[in-house]
Order: sequence, then C-alpha cells, then structure tokens
Amino acid sequence: MTFTMPIPQIADAAQPRLAKGVRLQTDSATGKSVLLLPEGIVELNETAHEILARCDGRTLREIVQALAEEYDSNLAALATDVRETLADLQQRKLIELT
Amino acid sequence: MTAPRPYALLAEITYRCPLHCPYCSNPTQARNNDQLATDEWKRVIREAADLGVLQIGFSGGEPLARRDLPDLVRAAREANLYTNLITSGIGLDDERVHRLRDAGLDSIQLSFQSDESDLSDEIAGARAHQHKLDAAARIRAAGIPLSLNFVIHRRNIDRLPQMIDLAETLEAERVELANVQFYGWAFLNRAGLLPTREQVTRAREVATAAKARLAGKIDIFYVLPDYYEVRPKPCLNGWGQRYLTINPIGDVLPCPTASSAIPDLRFENVRAHALDWIWRESESFNRFRGTEWMPEPCQSCPQREIDFGGCRCQAALLTGNAANTDPVCELSPNRAIVDAVLHDINSAAEQACGWTYRVNPMTPSHLESDAVLG
Repeated sequence: MTFTMPIPQIADAAQPRLAKGVRLQTDSATGKSVLLLPEGIVELNETAHEILARCDGRTLREIVQALAEEYDSNLAALATDVRETLADLQQRKLIELT
Repeated sequence: MTAPRPYALLAEITYRCPLHCPYCSNPTQARNNDQLATDEWKRVIREAADLGVLQIGFSGGEPLARRDLPDLVRAAREANLYTNLITSGIGLDDERVHRLRDAGLDSIQLSFQSDESDLSDEIAGARAHQHKLDAAARIRAAGIPLSLNFVIHRRNIDRLPQMIDLAETLEAERVELANVQFYGWAFLNRAGLLPTREQVTRAREVATAAKARLAGKIDIFYVLPDYYEVRPKPCLNGWGQRYLTINPIGDVLPCPTASSAIPDLRFENVRAHALDWIWRESESFNRFRGTEWMPEPCQSCPQREIDFGGCRCQAALLTGNAANTDPVCELSPNRAIVDAVLHDINSAAEQACGWTYRVNPMTPSHLESDAVLG
C-alpha cells in the first residue's frame, strides 16, 4: 500500500507575498536566509529561499517558470515542489496568497 | 565553553510605567537613575547586531515613557534588526504611532489585564483599559502587526474565553495567554495570583479549543503555569545561549529577572565593557552556560539539553541556590517546596486576594521630563 501526498491546490495565477510583519533577510552570522517574525526566526532551506526571493508580486506560474529557466529543471516536478513549499509557508502564516 | 551567537536582545529602556500591575516581573528594588542616553543605546544596538542579534524587543517599564523611542527603533532598523515594541499602549497617540511606523517598527505587542474595564483597571491599578482599546485601533489603522498579551492569574483566568473574543474583535494577528510566572512583584504577590488546579485545567481546555477554532486566523500561544507542571520550562533555551537583556542603566543580564532573583551574580555594564566581551567572557553569562554546572539529578538526566535544568531564577527564589535543579521538576529534591505552595492555594477555603501594587523606582526629578505619560 502506498500513500501519496495530495498536491496542494494553489492557483497558477495566485500571487504569494510575505505575510504582514514577516521579513526575509540574510543572517549575517551564518550567511543563511531567515524569516523574521514578531516572536521568532525561521531558518529557510535553499528551496524556500529561492521561491521567497521571487515572491515580489509575480504569480505562481511566473515563479515556477523563472526557477525552471534558472535551474534547467522539469517544469511539472518543480511546480509540485513550489506548491508544497508555499502551502507549508501559508499554513504557518508566513505568506499570504492574493 | 565557547559562546554561541545570540538571536534576540530585550532592551528594557526604562523602569518607569504608568501601570502598577502586581504581577510585574521587574525587580522590586530597581534603580532608574543614570539611565543610558540615546547615543549609548544606539551604540549598544549596533554592538548587538554585530554579535549576531537579529531581533530587538523594546520593553521596560513602559518604553513609550522615553521620547527617543522612535530614534532607537530607527537605529535598530538601520542595524537590520527586527523591531518589536512591548507596550501597555498608554501614551500611544496618533502622532507617536505614526512616528514609530515611519521609523520602521515591525510589530507591536500590546498588553491587556483582562477583557473589560472594571477588572482590568483594578489589576493595573490605573484607568488604562479604554486607552488600550484606543491604542489597538490606532495600531490597526497604522497597519502595524498587532499581538495581544494577557497575563493570566487567579483573578482573571476564568475570563479566558472573553479575552480570546476581545483578540478577535481587535483583529490581532497573535495572542499570548501567559500564565503569570513568579518573579519580581509577582513573586511577592504569589498568594494572591496563583490560580487553583481546577482553574488551570479549565483554562488549558479553553486555550486548546480556541487554538483549533482560530487556526489560520489568530495564532494563540498559551504559556503554561509552571508550578503545575512536572518538568521545568526550558528557560531561555539555555542560559547565555540565545537571549540577552539590557536594563535601563546598562547592566547586561542573561535573563531579565536575574538581577533581582540571583543576588550573588555580578552583572557587567555596557559603559564599562564591550557587549561582545560581556556575552562571551563575563562570569555572569558563563556561570550556567552549557551543562557542566549542573548538579544531579540534571547532570545525568536525558532531558538536560531539552529543559536545561529549568529556570535559574526560580531555583534561586525557591531554594536559595541558583545552581539547584528548578524545583518545579518532579525529580528535584526540592519539589516539596512547590507542592507546599500548591497545597496552600488549593486547600484554603478563602484564598488571599490582596496584593501589593508595583511602584515606580525612585527617579531623580531632572528625569521626570522624560515622561510623556498622561
């Protein structure tokens, strides 16, 4: 028996943005990317950083395309990764979708 | 041992406060004269950022009592710090909220004593509740993210549902329901503040249900009343690991309550030493850093890097020795001290309801002009 994770339903035209009060910044002590929020710090993995660095008003479709061109990777697989990461960030109230 | 880098600085910029909450964690014998000047704070903020600090909380006392608060917020933003204001809201008029926003303030944590005026004002020892509601509206209008903080104790714990309703009404992003922890004035007033076991059980259910109901809308943080726990809180995530506090006169503290709870610890001052040296090398930051200082049962405990032996200040206040295991721990040889306190509260037919209100530290008259409080 296998379990498959459902792919989160985020529309191609959705525009992900950092939630109010959340700042994306480089931690100068480690060189890593972090999200700063009212009561905490979230250290980002490379995938999350690459996605969030492009959450500047672009749509999900545009973000996936930009990443696919830059990393020369499979569009469908990448779209799934991006959706999963964004869904996780949204659930933790770190981003908002408009 | 090698010092890690700190993440957050609590800047207690003044001990003055227009409220008199009997649960205040400020020292009961505080000195407020010879406060750090604006330029000294700015220098210290830059030193903290160089040390690796990413977040600063401006607190007190009431930080709005200092006119230079927007300048300090701006300095913190220039040093790339995330800036949080921890305030009673008293003195936060339209002009100030806009100046703070323009200075780059990232977030405000507004305290409430309860959900309605009568009880709130009685707890605060001042007419404050209506000002807080007004302050919340101003913060929303200015577009600054808003967290509410309720300190929970025996007199208000049964109103948890109404407090959560208030947070919804005020459209807070986040609400902290924090059972009072017994330091400073709260330690002095413990008999009047500690809730009963029955109250604590009910409050936990209310908080858990609200957390589920409001998921995705309001983040609810429920801070446990640690006397009722069987294992201690992981205080500060370990002494001298992530946090530092600087008090109004520039003493650097591993924990904001350490100056009053641990009288034999000597704290260094930013006027005499670089912050980097104080963090890495000073005796006060190294005394309980890591695990070598730990006595049994902590030393051989598998939890020792999870709860770090609990709280040093609590050990000092309850057992007279800051190096003891936090007596909240069921494995502590001193757990009976906590149990005796709980027994008294839970068996008394009529518990003590009096308390001593917090008073401001003596301030020389030339500093009174700092105050902008009505």
